[in-house]
Amino acid sequence: MSTHPDPRARLAGGLLFWYAVLGGAIAWALHLLTGWGIDELACAAGSEAVGPVPLRTALSATVVLPALATVGALLAATLLWRRTTHVVTDGEDRPVGRSRLLALVGIWSNLLFLTIIVLGGIALLVLPPCQR
Amino acid sequence: MSTTAAPAPGASRGDLARLERHWGETPSVRSWLTTVDHKRIGRRYLVTAGLFFALAGLSALAMRTQLARPEAGMLSPEEYNQLFTMHGTTMIFLFATPMLFGFGNVLVPLMIGSRDMAFPKLNALGYWVFLFSGLFMWASLPFGAAPNNGWFAYVPLSDEQHNPGLHMDVYSLGLLFLGVATTAGSINFIVTALKLRAPGMSLNRVPLFVWAIVATGFMVIFALPALNVDNAMLFLDRRFGTHFFDPEAGGNVLLWQHLFWIFGHPDVYIIVMPALGIVSAVLPAFTRRGVVGYPLVVLAIVSISIISFGVWVHHMFATGLPQLSYSFFSAASTIITIPSGIQIFAWLATMMLGRLVLRVPLLFVIGFIVTFVLGGLTGAMFALTAFDQQVTDSYFVVAHFHYVLIGGAVFPMLAGIYFWLPKITGRMYHEGLGRWAFWLVFVGMHVTFFPMHLYGLFGMPRRVYTYRSEAGWDGWNLVSTVGSYVLALGLLLVLVGVVHAIRRGRPAPPDPWGGDTLDWSTDSPPKPYNFPVLPRVRSLHPNWDGPSRESMATGAEPDRVLADGRRTLRTSELDGRRERAVEMPEPSFQPLVLALAMLTFFTALLLAWYPVAAGAAATVAVTLAVWLWPPRRPDTEVGVSA
Repeated sequence: MSTHPDPRARLAGGLLFWYAVLGGAIAWALHLLTGWGIDELACAAGSEAVGPVPLRTALSATVVLPALATVGALLAATLLWRRTTHVVTDGEDRPVGRSRLLALVGIWSNLLFLTIIVLGGIALLVLPPCQR
Repeated sequence: MSTTAAPAPGASRGDLARLERHWGETPSVRSWLTTVDHKRIGRRYLVTAGLFFALAGLSALAMRTQLARPEAGMLSPEEYNQLFTMHGTTMIFLFATPMLFGFGNVLVPLMIGSRDMAFPKLNALGYWVFLFSGLFMWASLPFGAAPNNGWFAYVPLSDEQHNPGLHMDVYSLGLLFLGVATTAGSINFIVTALKLRAPGMSLNRVPLFVWAIVATGFMVIFALPALNVDNAMLFLDRRFGTHFFDPEAGGNVLLWQHLFWIFGHPDVYIIVMPALGIVSAVLPAFTRRGVVGYPLVVLAIVSISIISFGVWVHHMFATGLPQLSYSFFSAASTIITIPSGIQIFAWLATMMLGRLVLRVPLLFVIGFIVTFVLGGLTGAMFALTAFDQQVTDSYFVVAHFHYVLIGGAVFPMLAGIYFWLPKITGRMYHEGLGRWAFWLVFVGMHVTFFPMHLYGLFGMPRRVYTYRSEAGWDGWNLVSTVGSYVLALGLLLVLVGVVHAIRRGRPAPPDPWGGDTLDWSTDSPPKPYNFPVLPRVRSLHPNWDGPSRESMATGAEPDRVLADGRRTLRTSELDGRRERAVEMPEPSFQPLVLALAMLTFFTALLLAWYPVAAGAAATVAVTLAVWLWPPRRPDTEVGVSA
């Protein structure tokens, strides 16, 4: 078995790795900026819609899409964690230790970010978008 | 586990002599002005930040004396405004962050097994800019022109119409100037920690203090531009009549608050995070075990540094934004308590499972946990919009943030001072003096600030220079004032303890506490080149780990001695794999000249001497060009080749 995967596989693996670690954080940042920005700007303009889309629907998208992205990152981090569980570190320079650390950080941080996004979603169910 | 001796150097006498020749600095005025040694620069940060702390502390004592009784006349309203503004601005910008950068400067290269910071000249520039910007701001006080609008300088009160004179120009230009130092320092920490770690120090072996410093560096890089833009716009509005914050001309008053708190709330963590790193560094030595849950503490550091950017609007819950907007920030403000709690429980578990050695640094760590948890408790209350709106601008807020900042930053700093004093000065401190200092600081802090919760809830607003007796706040204010003097006495004892240690302390061994990180494997104080042999790290606790220590002694390899020049090792970001040796710069006047040119530029802008400002800007450009001009040396000599 080759120990050096081709560059494309390495790139995909690297991207998947960082998606697992940071995907939830990026999704939450997008949720916050788009959700807050749309709500703030639409309400300041006295509108309950973003173009043809009702404001509540637009805001729902800013919750649901980032939440799905975070769930994906959580699954990827869990997969990474499981794959590094039984790896034997024959050479001390193998990056298994730091991969496991980052996988664990990914799992828990994705859970935190998912919780924040879900709490924002609950607020959307309870509060009218422009109530001050 | 630990020893009290540095490992016998694996380098030969000839190597040591060459290292001394390349890295050593003879004491002289020239060397004092040109040094790029991270330890000397770090010590300067610590001392200078300590001096600014003393100035801000004396301002606080003057304010507490004024407030000890109702309708006192010791300070005029104008003087009081300048004092509370300089107190807050100094504590946040000129004390807390620089003091922690001082710890970082001294310790990061030692903890990661490097010979210096990644950019030593940039490091020196950072210190000079910090010093000059602090002097720039404090020099305004004797002229009655100090900033006077509170440390967060809200518009419209800070605009030219409502606040004429130089006061807020000093604030905006001073913070813009200081921002150069903070940004430079942060970049340096990030690159140092990512590229100069000893071989074998993969991310899962990085000390928690270094994780905290790197997270802080990233927070500064992302947060500070918002403050810089804010201050630049304020200065332009005040001096050149632009209308960024003028609603009548299409500007927006809330724009200031948004930009300020996009910086301001992460800044709370910028201050607290390295201090929490100090706690994680101190505990292993005094509990005889590693911090419990290392991966979870790393998680806490990383997630706090990210979530802290999504909570800023909780400082604006009284501004009338849509409630749904508040809820997005309220959710983040609530959830950020979880990673903070993870760290607290990790430290408590470490103490519970370890064997406690109750020395002064550990006392301050325990004091930190008690105080910081109380501050965190009221912080969680502020995450609730309804409660926040009730206590906004009352003394309850003052009580909360002093619990967080004194508890979360000053106590760990004091723990760090006692912990690393032997390493930095080569002398041991007096344990009895330290214990007295701890109890006076602890009691003084709580007597000063706990009553503020009460008279805040009773309705006393913050930032008032006096109050009437009928309100019933007299007794509580007197208690706070008495407490502030007890606190000041405790801090004075800390200073006495440090001076006593330097002058009369017994010589410190390399590892007096049995610490786990690489800093304790060097001499006390460390040699100019830090390590005769750069270590090969094989665990999270290299100083408790035989093979890691052995790598600096009998296991030394020539490619980790690097005695033929001023060199250190560059390694890969994630796994700490050796890449190549890199040449480090020599001492230089360039950082000092550049900082002086910047000082001239900002002073000239303040005083509206625009031709002088243009000349200073040209000097800055020329100095930068000389600094960055490629050296005429062969590639091998500058470390380009392997």
